[in-house]
Amino acid sequence: MKKEVSDLLKKELQYIGLLFLLALAIFKVVFFKEDFIVLLRSVLSLFWLFVLPSYFILLYWRENLEFIERFVIGIAVSAGIIGMSSYYLGLIGLNIKYHIFLLPLALILIGMSIIKKDIKF
Amino acid sequence: MIKIKLELEKVFLVIFLVILFFIGPGVLLDYKIKHDFPYGYMASDTFQHQVRAEAIKDAGNFRYEAPYISKGLENAVGIYPPLIYHIAVIYSYLAGIETYDSIYFLVFFFAVISSLAMYFIIRDFNRNVALMSLPLGILIFSYPLLIGITWGNWPSLLAQFFLIQFAFSLMKIDLKNSYFLIAIIFSAMILSHTSEAIFALIFVLLFLMIKLISRSLGKRELYVILIGLFISLILSSYYIIIFMNTWLKAQPYHLYQVPIWLGGPSFYILDFGWLLILITAGILFSIQRFRNMHISFILAFAMLLGGFLNYAGFGLRAFQIRFFWPIYLSVFFGAGIYMLLKFIVKKWNMVYTIPLFIVFTVLLTGLIKIPSIPHYNRATSEGLMDPYHWAALTWISKNTEDNSKIYFFYGDIYGQNALLRNSKRSHHLVDQDDFVKSLQERKIKKYYMSNLPGDDGGSIWMRSGIFAFKEIPPTKPSEYFFGSQDICKFDYIVFDKVSRQQVLAQYNLLIASELLKKDYVTKVFENEVVIILKNKNIGGDCIEERSF
Repeated sequence: MKKEVSDLLKKELQYIGLLFLLALAIFKVVFFKEDFIVLLRSVLSLFWLFVLPSYFILLYWRENLEFIERFVIGIAVSAGIIGMSSYYLGLIGLNIKYHIFLLPLALILIGMSIIKKDIKF
Repeated sequence: MIKIKLELEKVFLVIFLVILFFIGPGVLLDYKIKHDFPYGYMASDTFQHQVRAEAIKDAGNFRYEAPYISKGLENAVGIYPPLIYHIAVIYSYLAGIETYDSIYFLVFFFAVISSLAMYFIIRDFNRNVALMSLPLGILIFSYPLLIGITWGNWPSLLAQFFLIQFAFSLMKIDLKNSYFLIAIIFSAMILSHTSEAIFALIFVLLFLMIKLISRSLGKRELYVILIGLFISLILSSYYIIIFMNTWLKAQPYHLYQVPIWLGGPSFYILDFGWLLILITAGILFSIQRFRNMHISFILAFAMLLGGFLNYAGFGLRAFQIRFFWPIYLSVFFGAGIYMLLKFIVKKWNMVYTIPLFIVFTVLLTGLIKIPSIPHYNRATSEGLMDPYHWAALTWISKNTEDNSKIYFFYGDIYGQNALLRNSKRSHHLVDQDDFVKSLQERKIKKYYMSNLPGDDGGSIWMRSGIFAFKEIPPTKPSEYFFGSQDICKFDYIVFDKVSRQQVLAQYNLLIASELLKKDYVTKVFENEVVIILKNKNIGGDCIEERSF
C-alpha cells in the first residue's frame, strides 16, 4: 500500500510538472507580448495557489477520482479554502501579505498528514 | 485504439483551452498580463472591485471598507462578499503584479476553468457529447455576454465558477466523506456572490426532485447534502450575519418582473439563433431520459430556469446567470448534435466527434460567419483608463496627506466614478449639470453643486454588536451626499485639460487659472491631460466669483 501510494505520488507530481510546462507554453502563446519572467511567475503562482494545495488534500480520494478530475475540482477547493481562510485570518489580525505562503503550505501539510500513513518516504 | 481516443481528446482539449485563453484574456488584455494602468476596464463596477482589492491589500484585511470607498465614512463594515478580493490580493503578491491586473486576470482564468469543469461533468455522461459541447463556451467571450467581464460582474462570475464545481461535487456524492467538497465549494460560493447560492439551492432542489421521482434518492445522498450545506453555513456564518443585516435589508426581495435589464445590454435565449435548434433537440433528448437524467442536464435546466427568474423578482441576478448560459446549456447543444446525428450514424465514435468539434469551433469563433449563428466578436479597447489619468490618480494616492480632501472638476471619464477611488482619498465630484449651467451662464463660482461619490449599493453600515448593524446614510443630511460645496475647502483640486467637448476642458482651465492667481494655490502635478492644484489656505477665498 505504502509503495503504491509513493509511486502514485511520484507519477502524479510528474503529471503536475508536465501540466505546469503545458500551462507555461499556453501562456507563452496567448500572452506573447509579455516578458517570460512575468509569465513564469504568474503560472508558478497559479500552481502554488490553486493546484498544489488541493492536490495533496484530494489525494484522500485518489482511488475514486481520476488525476484530471482531482486537478479540475481541486482548483475550486484551493480557491475556496484559501479565499475563506484568508478572509478570516485577516479579521483575526494576520495581515494578508503573510497568507501567500502560509495558507498553501498549511493545506499541503494538512493533505500530507491525511495520507501520511499511506506514504513511504 | 482506446489510447488513441484518449490522446485525441487531450489534444483537442488543449487546443480548445488555447483558443479560449486567446480570444478571452489574450485579446482583451492585449496579450499581456502586466499593464501600466487598469487595462480593458470598461465600466465603473470594474474599478469598484479593483479598488476594493487594493484597499484590502493596503489594510491587510477586509474588516472595514476604506473611507474613500464609503463616502468618507470611517469604520464602515466591509459588506461585499470577500473571496474574490482576497484571492486577487494574494495572487497579486505572488505573481508580482498590481491588483488591477491580478483581479482581472483571475476573472478570465476562472471563466476558462468553468468551461473545463463543465466539460468534465458532461464527460461523466458521454465523452463525445462533452467534446461537442465545448465550442458553445466560446460565446462567453462574445458581446453582449462579454460585458459580464468587461463591465465588472466579477463576483457573480466567480460564484458561478463555484456553482459549476458544486455540480461536480454533487456528481461525486457517492465518494466517502463527499460532504467536505460540497461544504467547501458551497461556502466559497456564498463568500463570492451570495445570490448564486440561491441558484445553487434551486439546482439542488431540482436534483433531489428528479431523484425522488425516479425513485433513486437514497437516504445517504440526502444526508450528505444536508451535512454539506450545514457545514458550509457554519463556515460562512460570520459573513452570512453581515449579509443578512446589510444587503438583505438594503435590497429586500420584491416579486416584480424585469423583462429588460436596464444596467446594460442583455442576452436573450433567442440570441442563440439557429443554435437554438440543437439546444432544443438536446432539451427534448434529456426530457426523454428524465428518469436517468445526468447531473449535467439538471444543472443546465436549473440555470436555464435561473436565467428567466428576472420575471420572478431576481432582476439583475437572473441576467447575471445568463453570462454563463453558453457553458451551462452546452450539454443541450452537444447532446442535441449527438441525438440528431444518431439517426444517421448508428455506431458513434471519435471520428465523427472531432470534425464536428472543429466545425463548430470554426463557426463560433467567427472564422466562417453564418447569419443567425452567434459567433465571437473581437472586442479590443484599452478601456476607460489611460496613462495620464492613472498617473494623476496614483500621484494623489502617493503624494498627498491621508486626510486630504480632493475635488474633481469635470472629466469625460469621471461619470464612471468608481475610478476616482484610485486617488485613495475622500473626494467630491462636480455635478455635471451645474458645471454646464455655470459655463452657459459664463460664471466662475466658489460654490458648485457636487456629488460625494462612493459605494452605497448595499448602503453603508456600522457594526456595534454581533447582530447589531446601523445604516449610516439616513443619519446624515442629504447635503452630505449631494449639495453645494465650497471648492476652497478642498486640499487638492483636479482639472482635466482635454475633453471630447473641448469647451468643457477650457472652462476647467479657466477656473484653474483663476485659482492660480492666489499665491497659496500652486500647481503640484501636470501632464498632457490633468492638472492638480494644491490649496494651502483651506476655507479662504481661493477664487474670485465673476462673470466672463
